Formats: sequence, structure tokens, C-alpha cells
Amino acid sequence: MPAVEMQGITKYFASSQVLANDAVDLSVGQGEVHALVGENGAGKTTLMNILFGLTRPDRGTIRLNGTPVQIPHPNEAIRLGIGMVHQHFKLVPSFTVAQNILLGIEPSRYGLLDQRDENAAVKKLADEFGLPVDPAAVVGELSVGLQQRVEILKALQREARILILDEPTAVLTPQEARELFTVIRDLAKRGQTVIFITHKLLEVIEVADQVSVMRAGRMIGSKPVRETNLKEMARMMVGREVLLTVDKKPVEPGEIVLEVEHLLVAGVGGHTAISDLSFNVRAGEIVGIAGVSGNGQTELVDAITGLQPVDGGTIRLLRNEITNQPVGDRREQGMAHIPEDRLRTGLNLETNLDENVIVSRYREPEFQHYGLQDRAHIQKLAEWVVTQFSVASARPGEDIATLSGGNLQKVVLGRELSGSPKLIIANQPTRGLDVGSIEFVHRTLVDARDRGAAVLLISVELDEILALSDRILVLFRGRIAGEFQDEQATKEQLGILMAGGVIEEEAS
Amino acid sequence: MTSRQRRQIFDAVLIPILAIITGLAFSSVFVLMTSTPPLVAYQEMFKAGFGCERLDNCSFFLTLERATPLILTGLSAVVAFRSGLFSIGQEGQFLLGALMAAWIGYAIQLPPVIHSLVILAIAMAIGAAYAFIPAILKLRLNVNEIISTIILNSIAALFVTYMVNFPLRANRSSTASTPIIHASAELPSFFPGSHWGVGFLIAVAATIFVWFFLWRTVPGYEQRMSGQAPFFARFGGIRSERAAIRGMLISGALAGLAGAIEVLGVNRQIVAGFSSGLGFDGVLVAILGQAHPLGVFLVAILFAGIRLGSQIGLQITTNIPRELGGGILALIILFVSARSLFGDVINLFRNSFGTGRGIPKEDKA
Ligand SMILES: Nc1ncnc2c1ncn2[C@@H]1O[C@H](COP(=O)(O)OP(=O)(O)OP(=O)(O)O)[C@@H](O)[C@H]1O
Ligand SMILES: [Mg+2]
Repeated sequence: MPAVEMQGITKYFASSQVLANDAVDLSVGQGEVHALVGENGAGKTTLMNILFGLTRPDRGTIRLNGTPVQIPHPNEAIRLGIGMVHQHFKLVPSFTVAQNILLGIEPSRYGLLDQRDENAAVKKLADEFGLPVDPAAVVGELSVGLQQRVEILKALQREARILILDEPTAVLTPQEARELFTVIRDLAKRGQTVIFITHKLLEVIEVADQVSVMRAGRMIGSKPVRETNLKEMARMMVGREVLLTVDKKPVEPGEIVLEVEHLLVAGVGGHTAISDLSFNVRAGEIVGIAGVSGNGQTELVDAITGLQPVDGGTIRLLRNEITNQPVGDRREQGMAHIPEDRLRTGLNLETNLDENVIVSRYREPEFQHYGLQDRAHIQKLAEWVVTQFSVASARPGEDIATLSGGNLQKVVLGRELSGSPKLIIANQPTRGLDVGSIEFVHRTLVDARDRGAAVLLISVELDEILALSDRILVLFRGRIAGEFQDEQATKEQLGILMAGGVIEEEAS
Repeated sequence: MTSRQRRQIFDAVLIPILAIITGLAFSSVFVLMTSTPPLVAYQEMFKAGFGCERLDNCSFFLTLERATPLILTGLSAVVAFRSGLFSIGQEGQFLLGALMAAWIGYAIQLPPVIHSLVILAIAMAIGAAYAFIPAILKLRLNVNEIISTIILNSIAALFVTYMVNFPLRANRSSTASTPIIHASAELPSFFPGSHWGVGFLIAVAATIFVWFFLWRTVPGYEQRMSGQAPFFARFGGIRSERAAIRGMLISGALAGLAGAIEVLGVNRQIVAGFSSGLGFDGVLVAILGQAHPLGVFLVAILFAGIRLGSQIGLQITTNIPRELGGGILALIILFVSARSLFGDVINLFRNSFGTGRGIPKEDKA
């Protein structure tokens, strides 16, 4: 008997005119690792939100172990043993790990909370599942990977028998992802049922028993993983053949666009995040920064884009020193920035599409006259972004808060790549995108480079770095641990440098 | 107009109206405790707040007169809130603007229209300057603007009391007051019987200005983005510090303007105990009006009308204590803050007015 059986689930969102789930059936066996894949906006999150009681379906039934259930609220879902880790985390950043995990179910002694009890309880839980965390650490200061671990522990603490993970690997480094898979397999062995959403088909093959594919609100099919392959899944998802590689012309580097010299940035807690870093990016080339996250990527990007002051060194954009210039001035000189955190930094979810696509360009004469915004032109830009980047279900003038994760990323990309930027800082640009969209983003970045833009690509995906970069720099503890021309680099070599190792000179 | 803006306007109008209806319904319980039937009481209240017998004896004009400073202090709060600063310093800015107006109104001689224009300009400058203090404290020293504006309000109130009692005191009568301003400084009224006049037109213009500024201009865009999403604003290259200061200056100028209009158009002088919380009411009006200029405009009029109605209508005609009017206002405020209560009703309205979209058979994104 399946652990979860959803039948005929239908959900129409009147506000965005989207039929997000169209008579969807899903059946997940007990102790199974079930992958749910599909394009951005296919309705995966919606389906899982329905299972978790966050969204109410228009039609359809849910059975758990054969018993029909109503799940009107997440509390009910938790009571029924369902846990969910959201695509966008819902932790309290100022609380400690233990406080977050035990939120609402704190152990108390004589009605008083005891920090030590809490920490001990969390430690025990963490050890039991092999998910080490520091219970006393403040969540806001943790890496995304660790925050996710906290979310998982939070669900397990509430005795989830069915664990839903919405794009758990989108924010993880490959190493972290591998650790997560071990955890998932362990959980399955213990008889827990895991449903996870992903865009990475390799992960499906690596960890899942069964895969279900959704497209445009419909369930296209469900198969045992061993009976399918990458190409077939990609075709089911997108409805056409997908190129899994990027082809690009040989590089023709032009003048130096970005020049970083002896850059020094202090990180939190006083240690140096970036020390004495020097490199450049030329017009018409893509320079990839490989590295395990937390080795200075964030600080480097913030320093170049002006979001964080530097403590030493110089940054030049087209020979102009910009080291201490405000963000706006840098943008006026042709800098585009695709930020790591699209929800808080890249977008304003409280306003509409137009006001989101204009934020980096609203000062340009095209979009304002004598301090009055030119709404017609702004709307044209919004339309351009929607059509060029096929942002499904987005419309000029309408809210963006309900767009799916991938579509939100496309809005950011569209805005940043509009207006022919000279320098593009792309930080994890394909995070959370489906294969079709990744293909598209890669194509767009390569086109921008062919057009003569300088691209600095920061990604924790080695495959992405290798596929796109003309030159690769490995960042380790705030320094450049190695530099490769594209063809010379192998995944293994990069991996060694990223881990702080040294490549031995082979007999050459 | 996009559906988002339509919705904002819809919310700004509909939420206060629904809140008023619910508030009145609940207040019936209290009215029932007196001997007057609620419907009669409310009828009297509305007649006294919104009725109009003759042009020179029109309670609605009185309501508009009372609404004028509320609209302006409400707008002042809207500009601050929309810029991400929860400034409640309207009271202090209002008082200083009023004091300036009362003083220049009698102390100097100027030709008619010019005199009042000069005063309005100076009062706005004073209000803006006073609002600059919490802004700069916030940005340089990270002083919470709620606390600093509360303190500055008390300082302003004490300062005005001192000025009215000593340096600017007109005579030795038992209540301290400043001398009456010159006729050249007065803002004319439309009809005898109320001071509803040019000040109200200025408030209407200010409403349009604030809306236009926030939703149509580049600096307005900067204000709203910095207020809503500070990280996003910084990322996009908006200078949020400048936006915050600009927001506070405009906010202060509007409150100062309110104070000057109250003196030039209504009181013609400052009597000790002036204001009675008009600045604070502005904050309420801004919240009730969903921080939207149109909402503020409507709410200010309703607010003033209900207050007047409960004073005159209830107290005088039906003998229900005027405190009940305060009670009704409080209940209404409570219901506005419980806006989710009206969510369904609003959706219903939206759909039937065509601002929402019907449900099509099928949709392919
Ligand atoms: N609360 C909502 N209101 C209106 N529309 C919504 C809402 N939630 C989702 N949608 C729409 O429903 C569709 C499906 O969204 P959903 O988030 O389920 O996609 P997804 O498959 O999880 O995509 P992604 O991989 O990009 O996260 C999208 O077009 C989205 O815009
Ligand atoms: Mg999703």
C-alpha cells in the first residue's frame, strides 16, 4: 500500500490565471525515495504545498497508507507525520539552531526553558541521524547548506515519516549535496518516505527509486529510475530534445574590463575573507571562479559590485577606478549583477514586475524624463524580459510574488542582461532552474560574451564552470589556488585545489 | 492602470469603509445600554457629521475643516512609512509649524496673499528641519526613529507652551495665547459658519502631490523601494540614505504645513493647549488609510465626521456621552488592523467589479 497517494489533484490560481495542478495523480511507496521533476512553474511546489496543507486543492483526494485524509493546515500535516523543507527556508535567522529546531515544542522544566536541555536534545537528534550541527550557532550566520540541515532536523524532530524536500540541492555545493544524499538514503533505509523535488536529473539517477515528471500542471508519467535515463527524463520534462552541453566559439579576449588588484576584504569575525587577490576579466571572455562556497565568493562579489566596502586594493572597471564608488555609479558604467540571493537582494517581492525590472536602470534617460518615470518604456522593458526569457505566467504590471522559483530567477536574469552590460557578475546564475532554462541561461551568457561582454561566473557547480568558462580560477580561503585555461582543467584537478590540496607536477 | 494599483486603491477605500460598518455594528452594544436605539443614534451622528442644512450652517463643512489637518498629517505619515521610517513625529512638526505661523502672522506686515504664502513656506521649512533630526540620528547613530520622534514631540510641545506663555503671550488674560494674526495672513473660508476653506484645497493638492510623487517620479520610486526592500534597493544602486532623508524632509514639511493651515485658516492664534493630538491622529489616519494618499483623504474625512457626529449628534441631540464616539473610533481602528477579516468580502467585491479575473476553463502558461 502506498504511503502517499494523491489523486486527481487540481488547483487553479485565480490571481495569476494559472492551472498549477491539473488532475495530478501521485503515488509514493513506503520507504521510497521519490524524485519529482519538471520545468519551472510545472506545479511541483504547488503539489507538495497541497500535501503539506499549505495550499487547498480545488479537487482531489489524498490518502496516507490507504486512509483518506484532509490536510487543511500544516499542523495537521505534521500531526500526520509529514515534514517539509521549503524551497525558500523558513527559519528565524536570529535564533540559534536549537531554538529553531525546537520552536514551539521546547522542552521545559517547571515551565522554564533550559538552553542546555535544548542543545542536548538537538545534539542527540543530530547524532542519531548523522547530521552534525552546532546547536548553539545562530542560524543567520550559517551557510545555506547548514541552514538546510537545520530545516531537515526540524522536520525529523517532529517525527516526520514522510519528508518533502523542495529543491534541497539547489543551494548546496556538490559535496554538501552528496552528504544530503547519504542522509536521504539512510532515512529511506529506516523506512522513511522521502519526496524530493529537483532540476538535476543526475541526482535523480543517483539517489531516487522512482521518478515522477510534471509538465505545465500535468503529471506526465512516473517510472522506476532504473528503467529510465537522462535523455528520456529530459524529454519528458521539456517535451523536446535538450542539449546537455553548450557549444561556443573559441575565445577572443579583448581589452581588460574588470581588474582586481591586491584586494583585501575582512570577513565577519575579523579573519580575512579575501586576501591579496588579483585577477582580471577581459572583454569577450568568461572567467569562472570555482570553489567550495564559503571561501570568499560572497565577499568577492560584494566588493566588486559595491555592496561591501573593501579593506585594501583596487578594483577598476574599464580603467576607471571604482573601488569606493557607490553601487549606482558602477551600474551606470555597465556593470550587471546576478545575485546569489534572488529573493531578498535580487527582487522586491512586494511590488510588481515593472518596478522589479527597472531597479538597475531606472536612472537611464530612456526610462525617465526630468525625474518623471517613463512608464510606457518601463513596461516595454518588462514585456521584453517576459518574452525574451519566457517567464511563464508573468505579466507587466502584475505582482511577481507568486511566480515559481525558476521564473523569479528569469526575471533577475532578464533585467541584468538587458541593456547590453559590459561586465556581468553572475553568481550561481542557474540555481534552481530546469534543464531547458539552464540551457537557455548558458546560451545567453555565451551570447553576451560573444557580443563582447566580460563575464565573471561564480558557481559551485563544477560542470557549469567547466562548460562555460574560458579561464578558471580556483578560490580557496580567499586566495587564488590555481588558474586554468578552459581545456586544461579537469574536474579532478579542480576538486583537489578546491579542497585546499596541491596538484603534483606530473612528468611533463 | 494595472490590477495591482487597482487593488491598492480598492483596499484603501474598501477596508476603512468595511471597518466602519463593523465598528458601528459592534458599538451598538454600548448604545443599547443607553436608552436610544442604535439606528436613531447613528442617524443623529451621521446627520451631525455629514449632514448639510444650509450653506452657512453645514456640519459637513465643519467636518471638512476638521479633516484638513488630519489629511496633511496623515500624508506626512504616509511619506515617512513608505520610505521605510516609522516616524510618528508629526505632532512635533505640526506644533512648530503652527508656532511659526502664529508668530510671523502677527509679527510682520506683508501684502495679503504673499503674507500667507511666506508663512506656509516657512512653516514647511521648519517642519522639514525638525524632521531632519530623527532622520540623521537614525542614519548616523542608528537611533530608533520611533523613540526619537516621541521625544522630539514632547520637546516641541513644551517649547510651544513656553513660547505661548511667555515670549509670544498677547496679554495677561487667564488663558495664555498669542496675538491674533493680521488679516493679510489669513487663509479665507468658503462659507460663513465654518472655516472650511483654502486650507482644504491645499490638502487636496497635497494628496495629489504625494500620490504623484510616490508613484510617478524617480525619487518616489527610490523612496518606496528603499522602504519595502532595503537590500534590493541597495543592490539596484538606489541611495537609500538619501531617500530616507528626503522622505523625512517631505514628511516634516507636510506636518508643518498642517500646523500653519490650522493657525492661518482656523484658529488665527495659538491658545495654550492647542493641537490636542492632531499629529498623532495623522498616524492613525495613515494606518487606517492603508498608507495610501487616497485612503488617507477618505479616512481623514470619515474620522473627522464621526468625531464631530459623536460630539454634536450624540452628545447634544441624544444625550449619549461623547466618549462613546471615541469608543466607536477605537473599535473601527481595531477592525482595520484585523484586515484579513475582510479578505473574503474584498475578493468578492474585486471579482464583481471586474478588477479580479474570472475563472477560465483552462490555462496553459
Ligand atoms: N499562490 C499563488 N498564487 C498564484 N499563482 C501561483 C501561486 N503559487 C504558484 N502559482 C503559479 O503556479 C504555477 C506553478 O508554480 P509552482 O511554484 O508549483 O512551480 P514549480 O514547479 O515549483 O516551479 P519551480 O521549479 O520554478 O520552483 C506557476 O506558474 C506559479 O506562478
Ligand atoms: Mg518550486
